[in-house]
Amino acid sequence: MEVGLDWGTVLVAALAYLSALFAIAHWADRRQAAGRSVIASPTVFALSLAVYCTTWTFYGSVGRAATLGIGFLPVYLGPTLLMLLAPLLLRKILRIAKAQRITSIADFLSRRYGHSPLLGGLVALTATIGVTPYIALQLKAVAVSFDALTGGGLETTHALFLDQGFLIAAVMALFAIVFGARQIDAAEHHPGMVAAIALESLVKLVAFLAVGIFVVWGLHGGLDSLFAAATARPDLARLFGGDIALEGAASGVWVTTTILSAAAMLCLPRQFQVMVIESVDERQLDRAVWLFPLYLLLINLFVLPVALSGLLTFGGRVDPDLFVVALPLHGGAEWLALLAFLGGLSAAAGMIVVETVALSTMLCNDLVVPVLLRFRPAALARSADPAPLLLMVRRVAIVAILLFGYGYYRLAGSAYALVSIGLISFAAVAQFAPALIGGLYWRGATRRGAVAGVAAGALVWAYTLLLPSFARSGWLPASFIADGPWSIAALRPYALFGLESWDPLAHALFWSALANIGAYVGLSLFDRPDAAERAQAAAFVDVFEPTSAAMPPTSPADWRNAASVGDLARVVARFLGPQRAEQAFAGADPDEPAGPERLRLAERLLAGAIGGASARVALASSVSAGAVEAAELLRMLDETSDVIAHSRQLEMKTAELERATDALRAANDRLTELDRLKDDFLSTVTHELRTPLTSIRALSEILHDDPDLEAEQRQEFLAVIIKESERLTRLINQVLDMAKIEAGALDWRIEAIDPALLLTQAVAATEALFLERGIALSVDIPGNLPPVRGDEDRVIQVVVNLLSNAAKFTPTGGRTRLEAKLDGDTLRIAVIDSGPGVARKDRNIVFERFRQAGDILTGKPAGTGLGLAIAKRIVEHLGGRIGVEDAPAGLDAESGKGATFWFTLPLAEAQAPQGAAG
Amino acid sequence: MSAPARDEQPAPRRRERMAGLFLLAAVLFSPPLLGLFGVEGTVLGVPALYAGVFGVWAVVILLAALAGRTR
Repeated sequence: MEVGLDWGTVLVAALAYLSALFAIAHWADRRQAAGRSVIASPTVFALSLAVYCTTWTFYGSVGRAATLGIGFLPVYLGPTLLMLLAPLLLRKILRIAKAQRITSIADFLSRRYGHSPLLGGLVALTATIGVTPYIALQLKAVAVSFDALTGGGLETTHALFLDQGFLIAAVMALFAIVFGARQIDAAEHHPGMVAAIALESLVKLVAFLAVGIFVVWGLHGGLDSLFAAATARPDLARLFGGDIALEGAASGVWVTTTILSAAAMLCLPRQFQVMVIESVDERQLDRAVWLFPLYLLLINLFVLPVALSGLLTFGGRVDPDLFVVALPLHGGAEWLALLAFLGGLSAAAGMIVVETVALSTMLCNDLVVPVLLRFRPAALARSADPAPLLLMVRRVAIVAILLFGYGYYRLAGSAYALVSIGLISFAAVAQFAPALIGGLYWRGATRRGAVAGVAAGALVWAYTLLLPSFARSGWLPASFIADGPWSIAALRPYALFGLESWDPLAHALFWSALANIGAYVGLSLFDRPDAAERAQAAAFVDVFEPTSAAMPPTSPADWRNAASVGDLARVVARFLGPQRAEQAFAGADPDEPAGPERLRLAERLLAGAIGGASARVALASSVSAGAVEAAELLRMLDETSDVIAHSRQLEMKTAELERATDALRAANDRLTELDRLKDDFLSTVTHELRTPLTSIRALSEILHDDPDLEAEQRQEFLAVIIKESERLTRLINQVLDMAKIEAGALDWRIEAIDPALLLTQAVAATEALFLERGIALSVDIPGNLPPVRGDEDRVIQVVVNLLSNAAKFTPTGGRTRLEAKLDGDTLRIAVIDSGPGVARKDRNIVFERFRQAGDILTGKPAGTGLGLAIAKRIVEHLGGRIGVEDAPAGLDAESGKGATFWFTLPLAEAQAPQGAAG
Repeated sequence: MSAPARDEQPAPRRRERMAGLFLLAAVLFSPPLLGLFGVEGTVLGVPALYAGVFGVWAVVILLAALAGRTR
């Protein structure tokens, strides 16, 4: 090792840099308070995502590149792929997190699966255990880079207990406590922390690029000469060939690492923290989609050149993980080595701070508080203000997590390269991915499935990766890896059930994914979730549906006595302070029943502070004694959520029902009308039938009872009987006709017919009638009328009906005229009489059944009341129109009255195209 | 305290494009395809594999930026 910097100088520089970060964080918090948030910028958001790049990236990538060539890249290609899915996947997560005031990934999963405290606790525990090696990695990286920079000055002068790892852990704990665990509402943002992270991301990028440029152009005179020198060495040339990273077993590692890192990008507690919890606006994602991958590309641009240069320069004398510091030092650029160290420190600090804040929130909200509330509710109840207690829990958790990390670093840290430690953590948090992604799109995924999946995956992970890491560092016997526990070969952690010759990571991922997804899907398929769980599933899966956030319309009766506004305000005030409670329940009478909406508001507020699981327990404890059972209150809360989830479906169904109801109502109106018409028809028909029957019967009885009747009288009676019988027959025929027409059962013979002929026939049939009544009938039919389309018999029936009506209604000595003339495509046939005419108001109803014009009381109806109705139906069936109007002046100059009944028939040729005729 | 009532999901076209780009990138980043760059030779003094991987990566990022820009 070359001569290093004085360790005092390095320490001062490091502390000065960290103080600057404190200042930036403080400034950002102040700006936020002043309403000018720095974290609203999409660029700051994208830079804060770069907390993904830890010392693993800064130091470890070079180490990995020194053995695997481009094999270090999948860790960055995975997140690139994930960001491409941001518009689909991340946006949905962000929307849900905002709507539900999610505080961590444990909270997210717990809330999705029916507010399961078990799942939340399990995720929090798995994450903490899984990420501990990762934190150890940061401590190790800072410690060894410090040694590399100073030549190991500090360790020789101080006790083992106070090594650099411990120092850095202590400073980080302080930072995390000051900026990450200052307020109780964990769903709120930490602008100071995010701003500091974004700045750190810039510093580490600049530092790495500076080192890269210095190494390539300062030490080797350009890329081409560096690569040329490397190509000359066969052992180095293979680093930029495809075979060591892409072929054979290496391709499995490549794919595994890509998938793992994409999952980790989503599931790592700190990534979830910066990407979801700290996100101010969904639209920040739009820039991060390309800016964050661009950051990853830039920070990796010089990894391979630095690795090659280090190998060329040092051979095997220096750990490749430390080339980033060692190369500038070797090149005499001590300031650059210091910058590189600060870059690495940034990477470590950012990771540690965000990770511990995220983990402490999880541990507090999803593990400690639910346990406290369940087993020691008195402890919380006694303190008037539990907020300091909760903050204390979080601070203790931060310190504990860092101590764990430090312990793992002392214990197992030396056995692995940096990247290998990190991948162990990636594999742990990847166990959340199936439940997380499945929960977004699969409504049928259930709590038991998720719990079993995460538990099974985590157990397999611990067995295949965590325990072997203990064995490697001597904490467990080495035979544990080589021969399996108790020498059972099938249980060897790196070759479970005889799955030999896989890379340990791919092996662990395979088995844990199998156990995880298998349990998750399998149990979910055979599970029967309750209403509350289904409600939460719907709230997550359908978050983009517009009405999913709607409040239930009415409060059920059993809410009356559940809790008062005062109860809710008290519990909110206890956790969030009186100010927030005042805001939330302003203007409400404390004795008023709370009702479902206020209860949900309180739940949301509390969930933002202490997580979903705890919020519900806290609410339950708030209810004044004796009013209602706590369990009852929770049940009501669940039912409200259920109501909300179903209200959307209900709304859709209601709209459909309304449409169907409208159609039904219309159909019903029509049916009622038809029914009424049928009744009218029946009563009229019976009436009409009875009238002639009555006279027939009366006259027959007279004839029967009085055989001595005069012959003249007898003759007269018989004539009436015959006339009435004829009328009866006619009536029955017409009723039958009518029924046939309405039923569509009439046989029509529609063909081209000669109108002159049929009119002549009709006149011949009625001539006698007119003669009898002394009415002058004139016929005006032009020669050579074109044929019309129709049924000859039926048309004659219509004309006869009109003519006989005219004969009936025209007074003796009057006139009637039958005329036919062309009217466009139709033939218009009219019967004009000089009778009393038809009043305007009656003109429509004369064509209805049994509706005769005039007052029915004034005289005996002269017809059956069906003739015109039948005529109308016949004409309309033949495609014509029928109507009545005043008679033209001049037919009967004296009375000036009279009616014209007319109808039209289509010409037979009109069916053919006009052009063909002309 | 109310939930943000902003725009709904991003324009469907854009989501479809990004999903397509994801599939394309997933294929491009796979070992067999990247292995095609594992040949002798250099691009501006940089080995073909190294230049190829970063080139493909850069193109994917460029496409992602363009997909967001043009609606």
